Amino acid sequence: MRRLYLILIFVLFFFLFTSTVFAESSYVLPYPSSMPGSSLYKVHILYEKISKYWYFGDFGQFKYDLRYADKYLVEAKTLFEYKQYLLAYKALEKSNNYFLKLPSDLKKAQGSGKNIIEKENIFYEASRKHVEILKSLKIETPESFVWRPEKGSQSNLAIHKLIDISIKLRQSVL
Amino acid sequence: MRIFWFFFAFLFLLTLLSYAFIDPNFFPLSRIYSGFAFENRGWASLFYIVVMSFLYLGYLAIVRMYLKKRVNKAQIIGLFSISSVILLFSYPAMLSYDIFNYLTTAKVLFHYFENPYLIMPIEFVSDPNLLFTHAANKYALYGPSWIAMTGLPYLLGFKNIILSIIGFKIFNILFFFATLSLIYKVSKNLYPVILFGLNPLVLIETLLSLHNDIVLTFFAVLSFYFLLNNKKIHSVFSLIFSVFIKYATLALAPVYLYSFIKKMKKKELDQDQIFSLSSYSMLAVFFLSTFREEIYPWYAIWFLTFAFLSKNKFLHGISFVLSFFLLLRYVPYMYLGTHFGPTPFIKIAITFIPVFFYVISFRYIKEKIQLN
Repeated sequence: MRRLYLILIFVLFFFLFTSTVFAESSYVLPYPSSMPGSSLYKVHILYEKISKYWYFGDFGQFKYDLRYADKYLVEAKTLFEYKQYLLAYKALEKSNNYFLKLPSDLKKAQGSGKNIIEKENIFYEASRKHVEILKSLKIETPESFVWRPEKGSQSNLAIHKLIDISIKLRQSVL
Repeated sequence: MRIFWFFFAFLFLLTLLSYAFIDPNFFPLSRIYSGFAFENRGWASLFYIVVMSFLYLGYLAIVRMYLKKRVNKAQIIGLFSISSVILLFSYPAMLSYDIFNYLTTAKVLFHYFENPYLIMPIEFVSDPNLLFTHAANKYALYGPSWIAMTGLPYLLGFKNIILSIIGFKIFNILFFFATLSLIYKVSKNLYPVILFGLNPLVLIETLLSLHNDIVLTFFAVLSFYFLLNNKKIHSVFSLIFSVFIKYATLALAPVYLYSFIKKMKKKELDQDQIFSLSSYSMLAVFFLSTFREEIYPWYAIWFLTFAFLSKNKFLHGISFVLSFFLLLRYVPYMYLGTHFGPTPFIKIAITFIPVFFYVISFRYIKEKIQLN
């Protein structure tokens, strides 16, 4: 009976004082590039628009969309850290827009007879990494933020709501 | 005439020998795979050295015959044509796997409709070409002019690997003849045509291994031809097209600019001086390639063309020396079966020691002539 109590106490301790740790994704996100407000940022935006045509083909489009989904996520993270909430919010929206295109890029590639196993793996790893970043962002950011521009009306940024949507979007492929 | 048959016989032997080197993963020819060159490295290397030496002797003998005026124009055309037909049937990956790289890169663009500068062949996981393509983990290595041009031989193959290779063979044969006729047009002399067109290195790298260097050389010479004929815009576009095949001809820019400015000032161009300078420029890039990766024998085509177009005796001599010894650079790997160990050192020795001795002896001979 004594032994049983000991086992029970051990099991109880195990569940109470341990937390679940998930393996981190090995996917590598890019370095943050130029930020909104810098003179180079406009050049980057122009390059982004032009290079879309350079990334032709289904795999090319997949690479392009993933590249910018990553880039804007990193941009959002950096801007959130600097409490530039409006710019960060917009960057995360952009990242989501690019991320949304990825499944259809892969479907198109599969439709044209290409083996997409490797790309699916990349997509899966990227999604895991994105979720990791987004979860950490949720801890570091306020739930919402009221943005008061010098001129014009104020707007309420539902930061956590956007982060939740972003996580859901990425978890849907996991 | 006997020497012609001798030359053809060794070209034929080379074609036969090429089949001893069939890649075990090259499934279209798996039925005739023997593994001879990989299991009998000593014999394969010996056969190669013998064939190469006799081919070179044949080449020098034909050049000598021409100088003694014992060869006519029709015979020369016959020599080029029969040589091309013999090598048309050779296995192209005997000495280099670049043809597979050309083929697979063309497939990325013209079959998968993907940008080869962004998507590597290895990304098409189940593609059968990956079995024998050696640089599948690299983005397109060549310029856009070349990638665009490869569409023609690739599409002529109708998705069949052997037919595509034949397409590339015919493509290179056409550029080989176009270059020969251009050399003739520029020089108005058959001598440089023979020096270039029958040179074993040119024949092997262009018609056996199917390297694209003949194409970039053609457009580079074409740009000078246009410039000499006052067609400046055609000339500029030809040079740009050549640069965008493999970028190496960018080294011609200083000589080209000098010639262009001279032409603009309506001054007469010294053809011999321009081609000598062009050859030296390309020779410099050729030697500098050691720092990038290594000296590949087919890079010699860059300077050989201009060297033979000039009347510079030193350049002719170094071209003869290098074109023979560069073909021997294949032997260390052929014999040892590895790119590591002593192979790189032997390759360097094979290339630079003969050049060193040539440069010393040339100065000695020159000084002796001047003394006399």
